[in-house]
Amino acid sequence: MATIKINDLVKKFPVGKGHFTALNGINLNFDKGEFAGLVGPSGSGKTTLLNIIGSLDTPTTGSTIVLDKSISELSNKQAAKLRNKHIGFIFQTYNLLPVYTVFENVEFSLLLQKISAFERKKAVMMALEWVGLTDKAKSKPNMLSGGESQRVAIARSMVKKPEIVLADEPTANLDSKNSHHILQTMKKLNEELNVTFLFATHDEKVMQYLNRIVSLEDGKVVSDEIKT
Amino acid sequence: MIKFIFKGILRDKSRSLLPVIVISIGVFLTVFMSGWMKGVFTDMIDMSAKFQTGHVKIMTRSYAENQNQLPNDLALLNVEEILTGLNSDYPDMEWVKRINFGGLLDVPDENGETRAQGPAAGRAVDLLSPNSTEADRMNITNSIVKGSLPGKQGEALISNDFAERFGVKPGDDITIFGSTMYGSMMFKTFKVSGTISFGSSFLDRGAIIIDISDAQLALDMEDASSEILGYFKEGTYDDMRADSVKTSFNSMYSIADDEFSPKMFKLREQNGLDDLLTRGENMSGIMVFIFVLAMSIVLWNTGLLGGLRRYSEYGVRLALGENKGHIYKTIIYEAILIGLIGSIVGTIFGLGACYYLQENGIDFSSLMKNVNMMMPPVYRAVVSPELFYIGFFPGLIAMTLGNALAGYAIYKRKTAQLFKELEV
Repeated sequence: MATIKINDLVKKFPVGKGHFTALNGINLNFDKGEFAGLVGPSGSGKTTLLNIIGSLDTPTTGSTIVLDKSISELSNKQAAKLRNKHIGFIFQTYNLLPVYTVFENVEFSLLLQKISAFERKKAVMMALEWVGLTDKAKSKPNMLSGGESQRVAIARSMVKKPEIVLADEPTANLDSKNSHHILQTMKKLNEELNVTFLFATHDEKVMQYLNRIVSLEDGKVVSDEIKT
Repeated sequence: MIKFIFKGILRDKSRSLLPVIVISIGVFLTVFMSGWMKGVFTDMIDMSAKFQTGHVKIMTRSYAENQNQLPNDLALLNVEEILTGLNSDYPDMEWVKRINFGGLLDVPDENGETRAQGPAAGRAVDLLSPNSTEADRMNITNSIVKGSLPGKQGEALISNDFAERFGVKPGDDITIFGSTMYGSMMFKTFKVSGTISFGSSFLDRGAIIIDISDAQLALDMEDASSEILGYFKEGTYDDMRADSVKTSFNSMYSIADDEFSPKMFKLREQNGLDDLLTRGENMSGIMVFIFVLAMSIVLWNTGLLGGLRRYSEYGVRLALGENKGHIYKTIIYEAILIGLIGSIVGTIFGLGACYYLQENGIDFSSLMKNVNMMMPPVYRAVVSPELFYIGFFPGLIAMTLGNALAGYAIYKRKTAQLFKELEV
């Protein structure tokens, strides 16, 4: 059963009086527990596709079904609820909230779910344990290294136990050692929790870990390779 | 969530400090200026009431038309009968008669020849009756520089300036030249019991204060007085009550075509006080409007800058599953929290400053030496109940309005468009 089903997806952006086609007739399915990546040069449509799967954007035509929900048909609130409960995001620049502690950053998405303080604390500490940062719970983001910050971002995306994690160039700002550390952590979470990970990347290090590589070029799928 | 927002406000000084400072200053100025203006107007009304206008004043119709000339030939007659009627009809008010007169003050030498002369502005009030409150009302006792209050008929208080200029001291004789109620010449010698300074040149210049019985005798004004002043026993002016007393008195005692019939005027109708008081009442509203407008513009700008600075935060929050309506709501909650903090701080400081000036006042007497208006020498602010909210709510509204306008740009964008703009 596919977690993500994409059929004839076209995404156009208005540019001046015309438009720019970012995605052009994409057909893809991703199953539960996949560790897959969208690869391709800048402007190939990786991030746009990730944003549509993440319900931050909508297709111009075609359909994108995520966890049995059609992204085109979701209201703002329904899309937010889908992201909040079922989809985790990891960004290139970590994007931790600088005035809050590590604990509070990880806790944020649970605050939106009206979970009791006790349950929140338990979930946050477990997420920090997954990424090996329980001792940094009270630290502020400016006291963390790049690798630690990205691990906090992973904990933040995983704390709500989502079905899907979308990671946009998660290693772009990290050195080789930290990149491998991060990727190993994500791979472990993928295997242990059976969470679907979908990357947008052009980093060779990331590709080594992926089970499936979908190559995009000019908004089209040019290859879809499953590693065995 | 509120706790989360509150932590953000406390920790992110650039999010909270400038708005809190702007609101605190705005609210402080609103509270302080309102308290100060109200105090100043109250002081001016109070002084006017005590010395000239009363809370209501009765004069003959002709006297009222020419009162600047102190025309005692047009004074009220049968004053005791009028007073009896007033005390019976309006027992919640205190009624006093006064005589104002002009003349020449003559200071004789040891041979009885004129040593010095100057214009006199005389006031005759009830100083000798055992239950009279006039000396307290006009603050005469506290304004005496040398000597004491007149203790018997034939004694007078004179202006300390005049006394110093001509070397007059308590115990010396002075003579007043003037005209009686019937137009004949009046000469009357008084013994100086003391010298007085009210701190206002309008009141001090050539001032001579005598007991009303002396004035009635000297000016041939037996059972007559220039005016009768009425005061509410609570001590504060109430325009609606004054209006009601005036209407009832005039309907009973005033005859439109009789120029000698008594006519009552309320405080607001005298000495151009109506304009002054109306402006004073409008001033608070104008001030609040200006401060709210100015604060809103500054806070709108601050909100826009804060919003720009926090674009990536909003982007992350969108990605974490917060909808843009909720983000907009939290911006408003933040504004309310910051507005509350700023308004509380501003109100406390404003009230503190008003209280200090209520207790101590500012002495402007040195600036008023040449001012020919009846103005109190010391102005005080007044702490009144409306000061607790007059700046508080505008401060809260300005912050909320400023941030609501700034945050609306975020709210009205499509999520996808917003997410791209938020540079995550």
